[in-house]
Amino acid sequence: MTAIVVQDLRVSRGGTEVLKGISFSVDPGSVYALLGGNGAGKSTTLLTLLGFLTPDSGSASVLDNDVTQCVSRVRQQIAYLPEAATLYPHLNAYENLEYFLDLAGRKTTQLELDQALDEVGLQLESRSRHMEDYSKGMRQKVAISLAILRETPVLLLDEPTSGLDPVAIDEFNALVRNLAGLGKSILMVTHDVYGACQVANRIGLLRRGQLVGSFDAPAGERIETDRVHATFAERATA
Amino acid sequence: MSSAVRIAREEWRQWLRSRLAVLSFAVFTILLLVTTVLTTLDVQEARHLRLHQQGQAEEAFYSQPDRHPHRMVHYGHYVFRTPPPLAMFEPGVDSVTGQSLFLEGHRQNSAMFADARAEPRAGGFGPLSPAKLYHLFLPLLIIALGHGVILREREARTLGPLLSQGVTGAHLYRGKLLALGALVGFLSLPALFSSIAATALGESLIASMMLYIANVLYLGIWAALALSVSIATRARGVALGILSAVWVLTVLVVPRVGVTSASATLPTEGKILTDMRMNDDLRKLGDGHNASDPAFAQLRTDLLAQYNVNRVEDLPVNFRGIVASKSETDLTATLNAYAEKRMKRELAQAGHLAAYGLVSPYLAVGGASRHLAGTDLETHHRFLREAETARYEFVQGLNKAHIEKLSYVDDMNRNNGEEGGRRARIDAANWQVLEEFRFTPDSANERISRATSKLTWLVLWFLVLVCFGLISARRLTP
Repeated sequence: MTAIVVQDLRVSRGGTEVLKGISFSVDPGSVYALLGGNGAGKSTTLLTLLGFLTPDSGSASVLDNDVTQCVSRVRQQIAYLPEAATLYPHLNAYENLEYFLDLAGRKTTQLELDQALDEVGLQLESRSRHMEDYSKGMRQKVAISLAILRETPVLLLDEPTSGLDPVAIDEFNALVRNLAGLGKSILMVTHDVYGACQVANRIGLLRRGQLVGSFDAPAGERIETDRVHATFAERATA
Repeated sequence: MSSAVRIAREEWRQWLRSRLAVLSFAVFTILLLVTTVLTTLDVQEARHLRLHQQGQAEEAFYSQPDRHPHRMVHYGHYVFRTPPPLAMFEPGVDSVTGQSLFLEGHRQNSAMFADARAEPRAGGFGPLSPAKLYHLFLPLLIIALGHGVILREREARTLGPLLSQGVTGAHLYRGKLLALGALVGFLSLPALFSSIAATALGESLIASMMLYIANVLYLGIWAALALSVSIATRARGVALGILSAVWVLTVLVVPRVGVTSASATLPTEGKILTDMRMNDDLRKLGDGHNASDPAFAQLRTDLLAQYNVNRVEDLPVNFRGIVASKSETDLTATLNAYAEKRMKRELAQAGHLAAYGLVSPYLAVGGASRHLAGTDLETHHRFLREAETARYEFVQGLNKAHIEKLSYVDDMNRNNGEEGGRRARIDAANWQVLEEFRFTPDSANERISRATSKLTWLVLWFLVLVCFGLISARRLTP
């Protein structure tokens, strides 16, 4: 079963057509990076998949559930990381996770929380500190651990590496590849060509609401950054 | 644990971990407690004092020695309005209308000893009562804590993850409303204390509870409004601006406009002009002290004919007493006509102002609060009427003694030396005509019925805001 299928999707916001008939799919256990500049329609795609926006035409489904017909079932399958997620600054990592998981109807033990935080590499001594003292990279780790604990098969990441330092980006990319290796299907939208090439099995170039290019990683290899960069510079930002 | 309770609990945890929220909370809690305790003590003291003073005034009247009865008419008597038990929460008009009246013959005096006129202690703002604190200032705390309940989720980018993991806007709305509801419940504890204390002092339980509920409902309106604005806006500045503007409009501007509009639409003549007109009318009635006043010539003729005598000295009753009694009856009818006209106009003005309660929950809750506490204008008017009835009855009781217990001849010779004066006195036992005066509030049903329209408006405001908030919440997106 394909994790995400988007077919000729058209979406308008504020009277303007933002997505103009895009189609792509995300296979199980793979990472699809939707690459584009500002205003290309990347976040609109994610919000449509989450059921917050209604398509003008076309279709989108998550694990065979139409996003307009089965919103709650779709949302149960998805973990969504918005850009610059700060979570609750007055709570520590444990409290944040417990709160989100409680609301998702998922009961967890302290051991499970620690295992998930171990998995994302958040240092033990940081876990009991309020998140207002966290760096962005640390907050992203907690957000990813939430996705792990929710055990959703699909992850939607909105500009996940924006504002991270190079070390944190590398750590994050490794984490995403690891999650894909565990069978998670990941759709990330980004304008970071290098990051996308590091983690994605497939890259779609989005420009003004249209997919203008697509790159697949050869088996066991990564997508060539220079080729994507050149095309991105030529098409996506034209 | 339901999602609403979980969300509410988290909201409280956030408030309790915010220094600003805790500080605001502490300040308002202390203010509420201090105001409630001080007002309760004040009102309790006033209750005891006025009851004591009432007893003393009656004792002083009864213990007067043998005297000429008309001297006792002018000796007069004080009546006091004892504050009802719920005045410890809502002193109402008590502080501006005065709470005691000096009763004497031929005059209807104004109520005296209004705290607002006598007390400079609050720099012109008057003492802060729990009701004033609830109606005027607590909405500000609710605005301060409530405006950010949804906006903070947006700012922290937690709204997206929450909604995307199946928490609906309606869930979020219920949780946040529950948190604000718990805040309102906490802030309303002193009001509950006042209601329970008032019930213990003899107030009707239903009236006490209605007063408590009216105030909870009012704060609930502000909570629902703050939540709706938090959903509908995307910036704290805008949300705070809107809520502050609503507060200024409904709490400060609309009441002021209402008062001005009531005065302009239903103007009153003014005390000086009314007094001049009334005195003109009173003069036409004749001077009750002067039995020879031409105004009483017909009365003299009728009496002489009735008793078939030629001189007032031969009448079996004291003609001077008859004149005083007749004069008091006519004069009271005129005074009452003016008083009723004035009270009718005051009620019309109050009604005009109350209509603004449709657009200002502040006015609605203030009106409902005063009605339920028994400290409203209607109750003050009843005090004036009951005091006037008491005045008329004791003056006429003394006039009756004047007519029956003192001969006309002795009365006319009252200034003829010591013996003349002594013979013109009647027994002090006659002072028992004065009945004990104890002012009590209207029945709970009567007060609730007066408050019903205002309570209905509060319920409507609350329901409309909750419906609006729920509809907005269903469309909530990150």
